Amino acid sequence: MKAFTQIPPGTQILIGHAARRRRALERTICSVFEGWSYEEIVPPIFDYYDVFIKGMGTGLEEQIYRFIDRDGNILALRPEFTSLVAKTVVTRLNKAPRPVRLYYSGEVLRFEKPKGGRQREFAQIGIEHFGSRGKSADIEILLIAVEAFERLGIADFQINLGSVDFFGGIMDRISLPEGQLRELKEVLSLKDQSGLEAFLGRLSLEQRRKDILRAIPHLTGGRDVITEARGMIRNDRSIQALDHLEEIYAVFERLKLARHLTIDLGEIQGFDYYTGILFRAYVPQLGFEVANGGRYDGLPATFGEDLPAVGFSFSVDRLEQIATPKLKLSEADVADVNGEAFDRALHLRQEGKAVKLCL
Amino acid sequence: MLVIALAKGRLLDKSLDLLASAGIRFSEDVSTSRKLIFDAQDGKHRVVLVKPADVPTYVEYGAADAGIAGLDVVLESRADLVQPLALNFGRCKLAVAAPAGVELSASEDPTVQVATKYPHITMEYFNARGIPVELIYLSGSIELAPLLGLADRIVDLVESGRTLKENGLEIVEVILESSARLVVNRASYQTKRAEVLKFMETLNQLTSCASST
Repeated sequence: MKAFTQIPPGTQILIGHAARRRRALERTICSVFEGWSYEEIVPPIFDYYDVFIKGMGTGLEEQIYRFIDRDGNILALRPEFTSLVAKTVVTRLNKAPRPVRLYYSGEVLRFEKPKGGRQREFAQIGIEHFGSRGKSADIEILLIAVEAFERLGIADFQINLGSVDFFGGIMDRISLPEGQLRELKEVLSLKDQSGLEAFLGRLSLEQRRKDILRAIPHLTGGRDVITEARGMIRNDRSIQALDHLEEIYAVFERLKLARHLTIDLGEIQGFDYYTGILFRAYVPQLGFEVANGGRYDGLPATFGEDLPAVGFSFSVDRLEQIATPKLKLSEADVADVNGEAFDRALHLRQEGKAVKLCL
Repeated sequence: MLVIALAKGRLLDKSLDLLASAGIRFSEDVSTSRKLIFDAQDGKHRVVLVKPADVPTYVEYGAADAGIAGLDVVLESRADLVQPLALNFGRCKLAVAAPAGVELSASEDPTVQVATKYPHITMEYFNARGIPVELIYLSGSIELAPLLGLADRIVDLVESGRTLKENGLEIVEVILESSARLVVNRASYQTKRAEVLKFMETLNQLTSCASST
């Protein structure tokens, strides 16, 4: 019988060294989160399907594993944690003093093509910070990500920081019909210069606005990118986004961490729920991002409370490919299973030593 | 070091010409050598030769930072890539073809049978038109399928149209105008930004020069 001999595609099994490495990574990252006063939340592995639809937004809902319970409710295995945590904060924790700082660690499931060392069931570990507007919470989140990388022994990493509001402010003024907006986002996310030129050629728009759209894919780099962008835009929303990014960048400069930060105004991909900053982290050895996050002030409101929120998560399966935690196996004292071996084993255990019985 | 995946076959010589114009040259003849990995004389670029359909895979996984492949192959792969430039060569059409008189679908056929090595693009194209399709996946000599009664229609790349004609086939509908594309790994685009942007800019200038003359 197939079920007894084969595993379903998209699953994986961790044993021995791989399992120890997984737990060591999780412990390291959790200790960083706890060090910044984040408390663990252990949410359920399934909830109502609609909860996740709010979070994932259009396009990604087909990745959700759905099922129907005996009462006919549509449920889903969690494809991410953010919606679950946001719902919990708005409901169960509605009286808890703000800000609320929570971290989670566990598996999520998405029906997607396994790639980059990530199966359909994969591990995420991350934080959510509720109740703080403004740059300080954004910076806190970013600093926690930086510390986690450092504690994992990953010195060479890069965080690309963008803002939904920069692009949003530009689009407020241009107001394209939905079909064209989708097409524009598509070519921008592919950084497709040829496609963008073709698109702009079909669009009746003043030259200055076309030049802004043309520049977006290239607005990536250090502080100079912010200056360059300032020269191009006039709308308040984009200007505020740039102010915000510049303040964050300045703090990173002061803390001598700016080498890890890249301003990326061309970054417009991401879950629908992002509202402010948006970031992705990369390491040179891996072709896929290892962490992502951002601000999603709109999400808690869909569950009933208007609450600012910001967070990020690591893709643990990807970190495992680059981080090499020191795994110390405690040397086991061997007890002979003759005569008084069990007495000796108990004695060793009371002293906190590892034992391995020879059977 | 920027690793560039090139597609063996019809795009290879033009890809190498483009790299040569960009100053990326090799001490041996890449197109006739049996080796698969070549370091450029500038010491900053490495070229790997792979099957055309594998270019998006190598680049998506970051085994190569960038690659040159046909748009048809890039779209069929569904790989998540940065696709910054259309290059001015390797132009061809991805088309539905069939023996004379056969249309995209016949109202009396509940399902049409289509032979192709582009299953994703084919399925999407027919489904978007409400035509149920039975895909017959082949990896080469697609134009044989109608001759042997394997399928009435094929979806394949058409360059000059000669192969089709010689096999008694005609284009029914053009799905896609394809040409060579530069593709870049999403992480390399960020972590090797200076190198990638310089490479892109050089190719962009060469490409726009070529198109204006």
